[in-house]
Amino acid sequence: MRTLTNVLWRLWLPVLLVVLWWFASANSTNLFVPPLSRILGVMGRDFTNGVLLQAMSSSLSNLALGLLIASVVGVALGLILGETKRLRLILDPYIHFVRSVPQSALVPLIIGIFGLGSASKIYAVALACVWPILLNTIDGSLGVEVGVRRVSRVFGIPRMLYYRRVVLPGAMPQVIAGIRVALPIGIVVMVVSELFASNVGLGFYILHSSSTFRIPETWSGALLVGVIGYVLVIGFSLIDRQILAWYHKSGAR
Amino acid sequence: MATTTTTPMAFSGRPSVNWTLTFQRVITLVVILLLWQFALMSGLLPKITPGVPDIVTSIFTVVTMGNFWVGFGYTLFAALAGWLLSCAIGVVLGLLIGTVRPLDRSAALIVEFGRAFPTIALMPVMMLVLGATTNMKITMVVLAAVWPVLVQSILGSRRLDPGIVSTATVFQIPKGLWFRKVLLPSALPFIATGVRISASIAILAAVGVEVLTQVPGLGRLITLAQEAERWDNALAYLFFAGIFGWLVASLLGRAEGRLLRWNRQSDD
Repeated sequence: MRTLTNVLWRLWLPVLLVVLWWFASANSTNLFVPPLSRILGVMGRDFTNGVLLQAMSSSLSNLALGLLIASVVGVALGLILGETKRLRLILDPYIHFVRSVPQSALVPLIIGIFGLGSASKIYAVALACVWPILLNTIDGSLGVEVGVRRVSRVFGIPRMLYYRRVVLPGAMPQVIAGIRVALPIGIVVMVVSELFASNVGLGFYILHSSSTFRIPETWSGALLVGVIGYVLVIGFSLIDRQILAWYHKSGAR
Repeated sequence: MATTTTTPMAFSGRPSVNWTLTFQRVITLVVILLLWQFALMSGLLPKITPGVPDIVTSIFTVVTMGNFWVGFGYTLFAALAGWLLSCAIGVVLGLLIGTVRPLDRSAALIVEFGRAFPTIALMPVMMLVLGATTNMKITMVVLAAVWPVLVQSILGSRRLDPGIVSTATVFQIPKGLWFRKVLLPSALPFIATGVRISASIAILAAVGVEVLTQVPGLGRLITLAQEAERWDNALAYLFFAGIFGWLVASLLGRAEGRLLRWNRQSDD
């Protein structure tokens, strides 16, 4: 009973807003603000005929690949920088500068160099996502306890093993936090790069429909991207809790 | 997000310069630039990539050009206006939501959805409704940048110490005084973080809108330079976009540190 009231408390306002939108827009004659029923109808239609599924799969695979590259590069570099103080001090101002470049400004350059295809989208996502992961990994590796470090040195643990079994697990909570910060950035860059220039993907669906004045499609594409972004972010934080269950349980935070 | 700034001037009044480190940093920069140049000459980089001398020349010529400053002004104005609006809206709504329990529960889902929503996806829709105008750009900036402030304000006002709340109730402290002396100070550290994050997002959103549309600004200049294949100029604009972002982030970071020094001290 208590959970039910809780759910009701959480749901009534969002539901009310959607219902309001539904009825307020029902008889909308404004060309640019179509009725919600039409937007959802169009979305359903394009889902069943596969247009949106195809767009989604190409967008999401680009996002996943970009994020994967960013994670591998960011974690590897982050562990190295975290363990070598001199290098970290030297590169610190440059890393902070590059990270401060608004990621959306890179999109025209990357697309100009790598063309319209998915390679440019993947690079754009990777380049934007690598910084939070890198910085968080550095933080995480710095957080590995001095005692643990000394013990592994005393026992002469080989370098690679030390990185794999000592520093990486120690930095893992920070690495995951970095990926969680990077994910929404990646989604934004994915959308921006597709809206800038593309011939497939969700951004293309939105862009193409707006340039051919199919306004309900534009709205449904924008809403779909929003919902996908939300689902991804929420889904990731659930996975995060699974992966790091040991850490949350340990009360180390 | 904690970052590693290990510059030696952290808390001492006078910055002491570590000459060895500075020297090594300069050497590193030179090495990076040389590597760039060699990679270009050996054909590793795409042919269109400009050389280091071209970029450096562009950086200096771009600063003397009027349209750079005009574009920069447009970006600065939209980002600043959107950021200030976001701060005002976010703090007021956040403190309200955070202190009124039923409101908190009702709005939780909307706040969660809004902060995870990739706002830039709404840009084509906003283009249709508002047109390619400065107002559209500011609206987009607010839609993107309001969330960190809102979320942090909610978190901050939820953190009120129950002991202080009961004390304030017992002494029947007037609402206005309670707001100024109890709620605001306790929420301030959280709000400051939100304000700082939202400044970076405001710049990102403003530049993003400019890159994608005909709205004038720094992002538009980058797109135009790319379309005209003036890669040296495009990189010069990118360099200044980076400087701008870096300046804003470090200024706000420093202001936050100064403003909240009392809080840090009481923490340890």
